[in-house]
Amino acid sequence: MRALVCGAGAVGARAARYLVADAGTEQVLVHDTDRKRQAAVVASLGDRATGLDQPDPTTADVVVLASPAARHAAVARAAVRAGRHVVSVADSVGAVEDLLDLHAEAHERGVVVAVGAGFGPGLSCVLACHAAAELDTVEEIHIAHHGTGGPACARQHHSALRGVGLDWRDHAWRRRPPGSGRELCFFPDPIGGFDCYRAALPDALLLVPSFPGVSRVTARLAATRRDRFTAGLPMLRPPHVEGRIGGLRVEVRGRRGRSYDTVVLGAVDRPAVAAGTVAALTARWVADGRADATGAAGLATLVEPLPFLHELARAGVRAAVFEGN
Amino acid sequence: MALLRRALAAVGIAGIIAVVLRLRGSGGTPPQSGGWRELSGPDLR
Repeated sequence: MRALVCGAGAVGARAARYLVADAGTEQVLVHDTDRKRQAAVVASLGDRATGLDQPDPTTADVVVLASPAARHAAVARAAVRAGRHVVSVADSVGAVEDLLDLHAEAHERGVVVAVGAGFGPGLSCVLACHAAAELDTVEEIHIAHHGTGGPACARQHHSALRGVGLDWRDHAWRRRPPGSGRELCFFPDPIGGFDCYRAALPDALLLVPSFPGVSRVTARLAATRRDRFTAGLPMLRPPHVEGRIGGLRVEVRGRRGRSYDTVVLGAVDRPAVAAGTVAALTARWVADGRADATGAAGLATLVEPLPFLHELARAGVRAAVFEGN
Repeated sequence: MALLRRALAAVGIAGIIAVVLRLRGSGGTPPQSGGWRELSGPDLR
Protein backbone atom coordinates (compact mmCIF):
# COMPACT_ATOMS: atom_id res chain seq x y z
CA MET A 1 0.00 0.00 0.00
CA ARG A 2 1.13 3.52 -0.80
CA ALA A 3 -0.40 6.12 1.51
CA LEU A 4 -0.44 9.89 1.11
CA VAL A 5 -0.75 11.74 4.43
CA CYS A 6 -1.85 15.37 4.00
CA GLY A 7 -0.96 17.39 7.09
CA ALA A 8 2.10 16.65 9.21
CA GLY A 9 0.77 18.10 12.46
CA ALA A 10 -0.05 16.32 15.69
CA VAL A 11 -2.47 13.85 14.05
CA GLY A 12 -0.86 13.47 10.62
CA ALA A 13 2.60 12.74 12.05
CA ARG A 14 1.12 9.99 14.27
CA ALA A 15 -0.81 8.48 11.36
CA ALA A 16 2.31 8.51 9.17
CA ARG A 17 4.36 6.90 11.94
CA TYR A 18 1.78 4.12 12.38
CA LEU A 19 1.68 3.50 8.61
CA VAL A 20 5.49 3.39 8.28
CA ALA A 21 5.66 0.83 11.08
CA ASP A 22 3.10 -1.36 9.28
CA ALA A 23 4.82 -4.11 7.29
CA GLY A 24 2.14 -3.89 4.59
CA THR A 25 3.00 -0.28 3.74
CA GLU A 26 5.24 0.16 0.73
CA GLN A 27 5.64 3.93 0.96
CA VAL A 28 4.26 6.87 2.94
CA LEU A 29 4.08 10.21 1.13
CA VAL A 30 3.80 13.27 3.36
CA HIS A 31 2.52 16.69 2.35
CA ASP A 32 2.26 19.79 4.53
CA THR A 33 1.99 23.46 3.61
CA ASP A 34 4.70 24.08 6.24
CA ARG A 35 7.76 22.75 4.39
CA LYS A 36 10.02 22.75 7.46
CA ARG A 37 7.55 20.65 9.41
CA GLN A 38 7.07 18.33 6.43
CA ALA A 39 10.85 17.82 6.12
CA ALA A 40 11.22 17.17 9.87
CA VAL A 41 8.46 14.55 9.89
CA VAL A 42 9.78 12.82 6.74
CA ALA A 43 13.30 12.73 8.21
CA SER A 44 11.97 11.14 11.41
CA LEU A 45 10.12 8.39 9.53
CA GLY A 46 13.05 6.79 7.70
CA ASP A 47 13.56 5.49 4.15
CA ARG A 48 9.98 4.57 3.37
CA ALA A 49 8.73 8.15 3.78
CA THR A 50 8.96 10.83 1.08
CA GLY A 51 7.88 14.48 1.06
CA LEU A 52 5.51 15.78 -1.62
CA ASP A 53 5.23 19.41 -2.80
CA GLN A 54 1.60 19.01 -3.87
CA PRO A 55 -1.08 16.69 -2.44
CA ASP A 56 -1.45 14.64 -5.64
CA PRO A 57 -3.83 11.75 -4.85
CA THR A 58 -2.78 9.75 -7.93
CA THR A 59 0.54 8.99 -6.21
CA ALA A 60 -1.09 6.76 -3.58
CA ASP A 61 -3.69 4.02 -3.03
CA VAL A 62 -5.22 5.79 -0.05
CA VAL A 63 -5.17 9.45 1.02
CA VAL A 64 -5.23 10.33 4.73
CA LEU A 65 -6.44 13.89 5.31
CA ALA A 66 -5.08 15.26 8.59
CA SER A 67 -4.73 18.91 7.58
CA PRO A 68 -7.16 21.58 8.89
CA ALA A 69 -10.69 20.40 7.99
CA ALA A 70 -11.50 23.22 5.55
CA ARG A 71 -9.02 21.78 3.03
CA HIS A 72 -10.37 18.21 3.07
CA ALA A 73 -13.23 18.40 0.56
CA ALA A 74 -11.12 19.64 -2.38
CA VAL A 75 -8.42 16.98 -1.98
CA ALA A 76 -11.03 14.28 -1.30
CA ARG A 77 -12.94 15.21 -4.47
CA ALA A 78 -9.76 14.93 -6.56
CA ALA A 79 -8.92 11.60 -4.92
CA VAL A 80 -12.37 10.15 -5.58
CA ARG A 81 -12.18 11.25 -9.23
CA ALA A 82 -8.82 9.51 -9.46
CA GLY A 83 -10.35 6.35 -7.95
CA ARG A 84 -8.43 6.54 -4.66
CA HIS A 85 -9.72 5.82 -1.16
CA VAL A 86 -9.87 8.71 1.32
CA VAL A 87 -9.66 8.77 5.11
CA SER A 88 -10.46 12.13 6.69
CA VAL A 89 -10.16 13.15 10.34
CA ALA A 90 -12.48 16.15 9.72
CA ASP A 91 -14.24 17.25 12.91
CA SER A 92 -16.24 20.27 11.73
CA VAL A 93 -19.88 20.11 10.62
CA GLY A 94 -19.21 21.92 7.33
CA ALA A 95 -16.31 19.68 6.29
CA VAL A 96 -18.20 16.52 7.23
CA GLU A 97 -21.25 17.64 5.20
CA ASP A 98 -19.01 18.40 2.19
CA LEU A 99 -17.34 14.98 2.44
CA LEU A 100 -20.66 13.13 2.84
CA ASP A 101 -21.83 14.89 -0.35
CA LEU A 102 -19.22 12.82 -2.21
CA HIS A 103 -21.12 9.63 -1.40
CA ALA A 104 -22.80 9.06 -4.77
CA GLU A 105 -19.64 9.66 -6.79
CA ALA A 106 -17.48 7.57 -4.45
CA HIS A 107 -19.99 4.71 -4.46
CA GLU A 108 -20.19 4.80 -8.25
CA ARG A 109 -16.39 4.58 -8.52
CA GLY A 110 -16.20 1.84 -5.87
CA VAL A 111 -14.01 3.79 -3.46
CA VAL A 112 -14.38 4.58 0.24
CA VAL A 113 -14.41 8.04 1.81
CA ALA A 114 -14.09 7.42 5.55
CA VAL A 115 -15.43 10.61 7.12
CA GLY A 116 -14.55 11.70 10.65
CA ALA A 117 -12.02 8.89 11.21
CA GLY A 118 -10.28 10.34 14.25
CA PHE A 119 -10.84 10.24 18.01
CA GLY A 120 -14.14 12.12 18.13
CA PRO A 121 -15.76 11.61 15.71
CA GLY A 122 -14.17 8.31 14.70
CA LEU A 123 -13.54 6.14 17.72
CA SER A 124 -16.81 7.53 19.12
CA CYS A 125 -18.70 6.03 16.13
CA VAL A 126 -16.98 2.65 16.54
CA LEU A 127 -17.84 2.61 20.26
CA ALA A 128 -21.48 3.49 19.49
CA CYS A 129 -21.62 0.60 17.04
CA HIS A 130 -20.05 -1.78 19.57
CA ALA A 131 -22.45 -0.70 22.31
CA ALA A 132 -25.42 -1.05 19.94
CA ALA A 133 -24.46 -4.67 19.27
CA GLU A 134 -25.34 -5.47 22.90
CA LEU A 135 -28.93 -4.24 22.44
CA ASP A 136 -31.81 -5.58 20.37
CA THR A 137 -32.95 -2.13 19.26
CA VAL A 138 -31.19 1.22 19.57
CA GLU A 139 -33.32 4.22 20.51
CA GLU A 140 -30.85 6.87 21.70
CA ILE A 141 -27.15 7.63 21.29
CA HIS A 142 -25.46 10.37 23.31
CA ILE A 143 -21.83 11.30 22.72
CA ALA A 144 -19.64 13.51 24.92
CA HIS A 145 -16.15 14.75 24.03
CA HIS A 146 -13.45 16.07 26.34
CA GLY A 147 -10.13 17.63 25.37
CA THR A 148 -8.40 18.52 22.12
CA GLY A 149 -5.49 17.27 20.04
CA GLY A 150 -3.20 19.68 18.21
CA PRO A 151 -3.65 23.43 17.61
CA ALA A 152 -6.08 22.94 14.67
CA CYS A 153 -8.26 20.76 16.92
CA ALA A 154 -8.14 23.37 19.70
CA ARG A 155 -9.27 26.06 17.23
CA GLN A 156 -12.10 23.81 16.09
CA HIS A 157 -13.13 23.22 19.74
CA HIS A 158 -13.25 27.00 20.29
CA SER A 159 -15.28 27.55 17.12
CA ALA A 160 -17.66 24.63 17.88
CA LEU A 161 -18.68 26.24 21.18
CA ARG A 162 -20.23 29.17 19.33
CA GLY A 163 -21.75 27.08 16.51
CA VAL A 164 -25.31 25.79 16.38
CA GLY A 165 -25.70 22.25 17.72
CA LEU A 166 -27.31 19.64 15.51
CA ASP A 167 -29.47 17.07 17.32
CA TRP A 168 -31.48 14.21 15.88
CA ARG A 169 -34.77 14.01 17.78
CA ASP A 170 -37.98 12.17 16.94
CA HIS A 171 -36.59 11.28 13.50
CA ALA A 172 -35.91 14.90 12.51
CA TRP A 173 -32.97 17.32 12.68
CA ARG A 174 -33.20 20.03 15.34
CA ARG A 175 -30.91 23.04 15.54
CA ARG A 176 -29.96 23.89 19.14
CA PRO A 177 -28.37 27.03 20.59
CA PRO A 178 -24.64 26.68 21.30
CA GLY A 179 -23.84 26.22 24.97
CA SER A 180 -27.31 24.89 25.83
CA GLY A 181 -28.25 21.45 27.17
CA ARG A 182 -25.76 21.36 30.04
CA GLU A 183 -25.16 17.82 31.26
CA LEU A 184 -22.68 16.53 33.81
CA CYS A 185 -20.96 13.62 32.03
CA PHE A 186 -18.62 11.18 33.73
CA PHE A 187 -15.66 10.19 31.57
CA PRO A 188 -13.29 7.30 32.30
CA ASP A 189 -10.66 7.97 34.96
CA PRO A 190 -8.62 10.10 35.41
CA ILE A 191 -10.90 12.68 33.72
CA GLY A 192 -14.03 12.09 35.78
CA GLY A 193 -17.04 14.43 35.72
CA PHE A 194 -17.23 17.43 33.40
CA ASP A 195 -20.06 19.74 32.34
CA CYS A 196 -20.79 19.19 28.66
CA TYR A 197 -22.79 21.44 26.33
CA ARG A 198 -24.30 21.36 22.87
CA ALA A 199 -21.93 22.62 20.19
CA ALA A 200 -21.38 22.39 16.45
CA LEU A 201 -20.31 18.74 16.38
CA PRO A 202 -20.70 16.38 13.42
CA ASP A 203 -21.27 13.13 15.33
CA ALA A 204 -25.02 12.95 14.74
CA LEU A 205 -24.52 13.48 10.99
CA LEU A 206 -22.32 10.40 10.91
CA LEU A 207 -24.31 8.19 13.29
CA VAL A 208 -27.90 8.67 12.10
CA PRO A 209 -27.38 6.93 8.70
CA SER A 210 -25.85 3.93 10.50
CA PHE A 211 -28.79 3.44 12.88
CA PRO A 212 -31.96 3.81 10.79
CA GLY A 213 -34.47 3.39 13.65
CA VAL A 214 -32.77 5.65 16.18
CA SER A 215 -34.96 8.43 17.57
CA ARG A 216 -32.37 10.60 19.38
CA VAL A 217 -28.71 11.32 18.70
CA THR A 218 -26.91 14.13 20.52
CA ALA A 219 -23.31 15.26 20.88
CA ARG A 220 -21.87 17.46 23.61
CA LEU A 221 -18.53 19.05 24.29
CA ALA A 222 -16.87 19.42 27.70
CA ALA A 223 -16.13 23.08 28.38
CA THR A 224 -14.93 25.17 31.28
CA ARG A 225 -16.50 28.48 32.31
CA ARG A 226 -13.65 30.33 30.61
CA ASP A 227 -14.19 28.32 27.39
CA ARG A 228 -17.85 29.34 27.35
CA PHE A 229 -17.28 32.94 28.37
CA THR A 230 -14.71 33.47 25.60
CA ALA A 231 -16.42 31.32 22.94
CA GLY A 232 -17.74 34.37 21.09
CA LEU A 233 -14.35 36.05 20.95
CA PRO A 234 -11.30 35.23 18.84
CA MET A 235 -8.92 32.87 20.66
CA LEU A 236 -7.24 35.14 23.20
CA ARG A 237 -4.29 32.84 23.78
CA PRO A 238 -2.44 30.53 21.38
CA PRO A 239 -3.71 26.92 21.55
CA HIS A 240 -2.03 24.87 24.25
CA VAL A 241 0.77 22.50 23.37
CA GLU A 242 -0.52 19.13 22.23
CA GLY A 243 -0.21 16.29 24.69
CA ARG A 244 -2.94 16.75 27.27
CA ILE A 245 -5.36 13.94 27.91
CA GLY A 246 -8.84 13.76 26.37
CA GLY A 247 -11.79 11.46 26.64
CA LEU A 248 -14.92 10.11 25.03
CA ARG A 249 -18.16 8.94 26.56
CA VAL A 250 -20.68 7.08 24.43
CA GLU A 251 -24.07 6.23 25.93
CA VAL A 252 -26.41 4.02 23.92
CA ARG A 253 -29.95 3.34 25.12
CA GLY A 254 -32.37 0.81 23.75
CA ARG A 255 -34.23 -2.41 24.35
CA ARG A 256 -32.70 -5.72 25.33
CA GLY A 257 -35.46 -8.30 25.49
CA ARG A 258 -38.34 -6.69 27.37
CA SER A 259 -36.24 -4.27 29.38
CA TYR A 260 -34.95 -0.80 28.56
CA ASP A 261 -31.19 -0.81 28.94
CA THR A 262 -28.20 1.55 28.72
CA VAL A 263 -24.66 0.69 27.61
CA VAL A 264 -21.91 3.22 28.38
CA LEU A 265 -18.50 2.98 26.72
CA GLY A 266 -15.60 5.40 26.86
CA ALA A 267 -11.96 5.99 26.10
CA VAL A 268 -9.15 8.12 27.47
CA ASP A 269 -6.04 8.99 25.50
CA ARG A 270 -4.12 11.90 24.07
CA PRO A 271 -6.62 12.86 21.34
CA ALA A 272 -4.03 13.49 18.62
CA VAL A 273 -2.30 10.16 19.24
CA ALA A 274 -5.58 8.26 19.25
CA ALA A 275 -6.88 10.14 16.18
CA GLY A 276 -3.69 9.40 14.23
CA THR A 277 -3.90 5.73 15.14
CA VAL A 278 -7.60 5.47 14.21
CA ALA A 279 -6.98 7.24 10.87
CA ALA A 280 -4.01 5.04 10.00
CA LEU A 281 -5.82 1.84 10.99
CA THR A 282 -8.81 2.93 8.89
CA ALA A 283 -6.48 3.53 5.92
CA ARG A 284 -5.02 0.05 6.36
CA TRP A 285 -8.52 -1.41 6.71
CA VAL A 286 -9.82 0.34 3.58
CA ALA A 287 -6.75 -0.47 1.47
CA ASP A 288 -7.10 -4.16 2.43
CA GLY A 289 -10.71 -4.15 1.17
CA ARG A 290 -12.12 -4.76 4.67
CA ALA A 291 -14.55 -1.80 4.64
CA ASP A 292 -18.19 -2.92 4.87
CA ALA A 293 -19.38 -0.46 2.21
CA THR A 294 -18.23 1.91 -0.51
CA GLY A 295 -19.09 5.60 -0.68
CA ALA A 296 -18.76 8.31 1.94
CA ALA A 297 -19.70 7.36 5.51
CA GLY A 298 -18.58 7.36 9.12
CA LEU A 299 -16.79 4.51 10.84
CA ALA A 300 -20.03 3.12 12.32
CA THR A 301 -20.99 2.16 8.75
CA LEU A 302 -17.55 1.18 7.45
CA VAL A 303 -15.86 -1.04 10.04
CA GLU A 304 -16.67 -4.11 12.14
CA PRO A 305 -16.35 -2.73 15.67
CA LEU A 306 -14.93 -5.78 17.47
CA PRO A 307 -11.91 -6.53 15.23
CA PHE A 308 -11.31 -2.79 14.79
CA LEU A 309 -11.28 -2.20 18.57
CA HIS A 310 -9.07 -5.27 19.00
CA GLU A 311 -6.49 -3.88 16.56
CA LEU A 312 -6.73 -0.45 18.16
CA ALA A 313 -6.08 -1.99 21.58
CA ARG A 314 -2.98 -3.70 20.17
CA ALA A 315 -1.84 -0.26 18.98
CA GLY A 316 -2.34 1.15 22.48
CA VAL A 317 -5.73 2.86 22.09
CA ARG A 318 -8.01 1.21 24.62
CA ALA A 319 -11.72 1.51 25.24
CA ALA A 320 -13.53 1.04 28.55
CA VAL A 321 -17.01 0.07 29.67
CA PHE A 322 -18.88 1.57 32.61
CA GLU A 323 -20.32 -1.07 34.90
CA GLY A 324 -22.68 0.18 37.59
CA ASN A 325 -25.49 2.65 38.13
CA MET B 1 -34.46 60.70 30.19
CA ALA B 2 -35.46 58.86 33.37
CA LEU B 3 -37.26 56.31 31.26
CA LEU B 4 -34.13 55.76 29.17
CA ARG B 5 -32.01 55.35 32.32
CA ARG B 6 -34.46 52.80 33.72
CA ALA B 7 -34.50 50.89 30.44
CA LEU B 8 -30.68 50.82 30.31
CA ALA B 9 -30.53 49.69 33.94
CA ALA B 10 -33.04 46.92 33.24
CA VAL B 11 -31.05 45.75 30.20
CA GLY B 12 -27.83 45.82 32.25
CA ILE B 13 -29.33 43.82 35.13
CA ALA B 14 -30.82 41.32 32.68
CA GLY B 15 -27.40 40.95 31.02
CA ILE B 16 -25.67 40.33 34.37
CA ILE B 17 -28.27 37.71 35.30
CA ALA B 18 -27.83 36.04 31.88
CA VAL B 19 -24.04 35.90 32.29
CA VAL B 20 -24.35 34.46 35.82
CA LEU B 21 -26.83 31.83 34.65
CA ARG B 22 -24.67 30.95 31.66
CA LEU B 23 -21.50 30.51 33.70
CA ARG B 24 -23.05 28.97 36.78
CA GLY B 25 -21.68 25.57 37.78
CA SER B 26 -23.99 22.62 37.58
CA GLY B 27 -25.28 19.94 39.84
CA GLY B 28 -25.75 16.46 38.51
CA THR B 29 -25.56 13.11 40.16
CA PRO B 30 -22.32 11.15 40.01
CA PRO B 31 -22.53 7.40 39.46
CA GLN B 32 -23.80 5.74 42.66
CA SER B 33 -21.90 2.49 42.24
CA GLY B 34 -19.56 0.70 39.86
CA GLY B 35 -16.82 2.10 37.70
CA TRP B 36 -14.93 1.94 34.43
CA ARG B 37 -13.28 -1.29 33.28
CA GLU B 38 -10.92 -1.50 30.32
CA LEU B 39 -12.18 -3.62 27.42
CA SER B 40 -9.70 -6.39 26.82
CA GLY B 41 -9.31 -10.03 25.81
CA PRO B 42 -12.73 -11.71 25.91
CA ASP B 43 -14.58 -8.37 25.48
CA LEU B 44 -13.05 -7.92 22.04
CA ARG B 45 -13.61 -11.42 20.61
